[in-house]
Amino acid sequence: MRVDPRARGAVRYSVDADMPGQLHAALVRSTVAHGVVRGIDVSGVAPGVTVLLPEDVADLPLYGCQIADQAVLAERPRHAGDVVAAVAAPTPAAARAAARAVVVEVDELPAVFDALDAAREEAPLLHEGLSVSDNDAAYFGIRPVAGTNICHRFRIRHGDVEAGFAAADVVVEGTFRTPAAAHVPMEPHATVARFTEDGRLEVVTGTQTPFNMRMELAAMFGLDEEDVRIVVPPMGGSFGAKTFTRQEGIVAALARKTGRPVKLVLGRSEEFLTLNRHPSIVHVRLGATRTGDLVAKAVTCWADTGAYADCGPGVAQKMGFAAPGPYRIPNCWVDAHAVYTNTPPNGAFRGYGAMQSIWASERTMDLLAARLGTGPLELRRRNLLRDGDAYATGEAMHGTCFEELLDRAAAAVGYEHDPAGKGLCLVMKGMQTPSRASIAIEREGDGYVIRCATTEMGQGARRSLALLAAERLGCRPEQIRVPDPDTDRVPYDTRTTSSRSTFMMAGALAEACEALLEDGRRGHGTIVNDGGLDPDTGQGVASTHWHQAAGAAHLEVDEETGRVRLHRVHCAVYAGRVVNAPGAALQNEGSMTMGLGTALFESVDFNEGQVTNANLSDYNVPTARDAAALTHELVEREGAPIHGLGETALPPVPAAIGNALASLGIELYDLPMTPERVLEAIDRRAAPSPEPDLEARRR
Amino acid sequence: MRVAFVLDGAPAELEAGEGEMLVDALRAAGRLSVRETCGIGVCGACAVIVDDEPVSACLMLAAQVDGRSVTTVEGLPDDDPVLQAFTQAHAAQCGWCTPGMVLTVKAMLADDPQIDRERAAEGLGGNLCRCGSYSRILDAVQLAAELTLKED
Ligand code: FES
Ligand code: FES
Repeated sequence: MRVDPRARGAVRYSVDADMPGQLHAALVRSTVAHGVVRGIDVSGVAPGVTVLLPEDVADLPLYGCQIADQAVLAERPRHAGDVVAAVAAPTPAAARAAARAVVVEVDELPAVFDALDAAREEAPLLHEGLSVSDNDAAYFGIRPVAGTNICHRFRIRHGDVEAGFAAADVVVEGTFRTPAAAHVPMEPHATVARFTEDGRLEVVTGTQTPFNMRMELAAMFGLDEEDVRIVVPPMGGSFGAKTFTRQEGIVAALARKTGRPVKLVLGRSEEFLTLNRHPSIVHVRLGATRTGDLVAKAVTCWADTGAYADCGPGVAQKMGFAAPGPYRIPNCWVDAHAVYTNTPPNGAFRGYGAMQSIWASERTMDLLAARLGTGPLELRRRNLLRDGDAYATGEAMHGTCFEELLDRAAAAVGYEHDPAGKGLCLVMKGMQTPSRASIAIEREGDGYVIRCATTEMGQGARRSLALLAAERLGCRPEQIRVPDPDTDRVPYDTRTTSSRSTFMMAGALAEACEALLEDGRRGHGTIVNDGGLDPDTGQGVASTHWHQAAGAAHLEVDEETGRVRLHRVHCAVYAGRVVNAPGAALQNEGSMTMGLGTALFESVDFNEGQVTNANLSDYNVPTARDAAALTHELVEREGAPIHGLGETALPPVPAAIGNALASLGIELYDLPMTPERVLEAIDRRAAPSPEPDLEARRR
Repeated sequence: MRVAFVLDGAPAELEAGEGEMLVDALRAAGRLSVRETCGIGVCGACAVIVDDEPVSACLMLAAQVDGRSVTTVEGLPDDDPVLQAFTQAHAAQCGWCTPGMVLTVKAMLADDPQIDRERAAEGLGGNLCRCGSYSRILDAVQLAAELTLKED
């Protein structure tokens, strides 16, 4: 059998990309969390090194995919690790030495590190006056709250929530927290860029968002979009880390100043300063009748977006519209906020805000079940959404299969036989809506070539496209070539996020193949999904279709040490139709493995805004041994559309484990569920229940 | 310092800068299958085999391989049972960790040809796969063990 090029190490990533005559860059970062740069002393820098200073980029406008709030170099650093200067030198070692030799003097400003503190009126403001970005990633109504650190607030108003609670026989509530987490792509962020003689900007970089980046860099350097070229080699993992503009603007600015190509590869510790997952605080109040019918739910979400908004408004919104959960609730209000703090920016992360509100909501379902004296399985079955039911956004549900998923997950751990040490979770997660995908396919020799902006990061996108095209064109998948996306050659696509690509590109590809069969040489297809939500009422179409899953966990706890021993964690995931069977299975396993890290140990830790575990010895990710208990299954339906699988199996894992602990009387509210926290919860089990923590409901 | 060694079965030389790590020297020599992720010996992305031992090339100085033999995945034959097993088991997503996994598994099977799944998982404790391909990697270990036994 021909050896997989991945096993042979033959894949070439952005870190492997070079341009002739390139210089190597390194970044100079702020050591204070909030301040104003008073001076930058470059006298210790070796000759022959170029230093990029704030005045070199003074002509470049602020950027940001949803809110234009970030300068290419920070004259006012807003987090420890913010980039204040950059250097370019002949070798990476010389660049690192030069960056160390730059001395930055900063006057400190008051800083704020917690989302609830930052949302107070008296909190130090990170940004004065916010302007919504004109990038097409700012596709929904963004609602900054003037004079505060809140850069977006989103509401769902469905029914009358106070009347609902008045009618409830039982009301439970809780406040749930999740920490910052690191994506830890094995390949760090890497970029090489140059300006060509005719003034075009060419960038080779790992990104899930080539067209958003093209738009952003064009605006930054005052170029036409056609004069910016983004080429995207396969990524050695991304999970959301390589989205929108990260280091690319700095590299391009260095290329502009030096007149040479410039390459930058981030160091491992820098990854923890570049983009993390939004820490969250979610308060849930849930009411039901004595018989177990849900009647009211109120949720307040706080997404800490760090020093820059990035796509935090979108993440907060998704956190908000995932909060009702897959249940019939006649009265449901949600208030979700994205808030600035003086910590590294937080952005897209596998799950995109859904994990945080699912953790809170699914844990609350079990609090309610316990209060009602009914089983968590019965409570879910009784209330779950079925076709034709209205979601809290007003849209009618279709293609639902929550009951089947729940039954399968429950059966995998023998839940009905004996629920002790076992927990369940149901997940409903939206897909990017609205969006647009285009694809072209051309004859090439005795095969075909696909021109498509879908980026490859290990999810097997290219394989799926080749399989789908081969099926349409009646050829072997090996006859179809899918080269690296290159914005000079591929048609526009929104981005490779939210598990949308297989579904959207499959639609566009079907059309393109038909056109090719007619034309004989080439074909082009475009598909658009419409929708969106009113940010003030949450009414509209949140998602063209829903990613659905159920999780179940079975575990025991060593009550001396607080260690959780997993017997099994199972996810049943709705796939609609599976295109690439091994790829689909790997996506599920990968999502669950990441979910396990989120559940049990992953947390970026801070002390006064400084990351204290920015390396892979102190920041633990799951290993082969941790993954042994994970199993999954894919559920297909005859004639159903393809459903993306990139992240659906992540959110069930933490809540299923949390609910399994709850079945033993060990109630956890905060992630990760470390042995220390488990021990604290064991101590609490004996004590009378404390007053609920209502701080998060303040507004 | 001039370093003379055997690289993937052929005599090779390289100029090791002061304090230069093996991972950087091998990448400069075009062995791009050797990759750096953690830089501190905990992830296995930079694993190579020096003489018969798997080592982290991010922790070893380039000068230390003088007179020794270094194997990367690029030196393995197409019918290598571990390469074949990883291919057949679909044991990769992004593929970044795969070369280090392959080499670690080779060394593991040399020590313990009938390794079971649990011991294999233990033995891969220093090889991270953030894509979470572990279950298929463990399938690949079992398959490689079978293929190796058949070969002998
Ligand atoms: S890079 Fe050498 S072990 Fe991680
Ligand atoms: S396949 Fe991506 S890190 Fe292992």
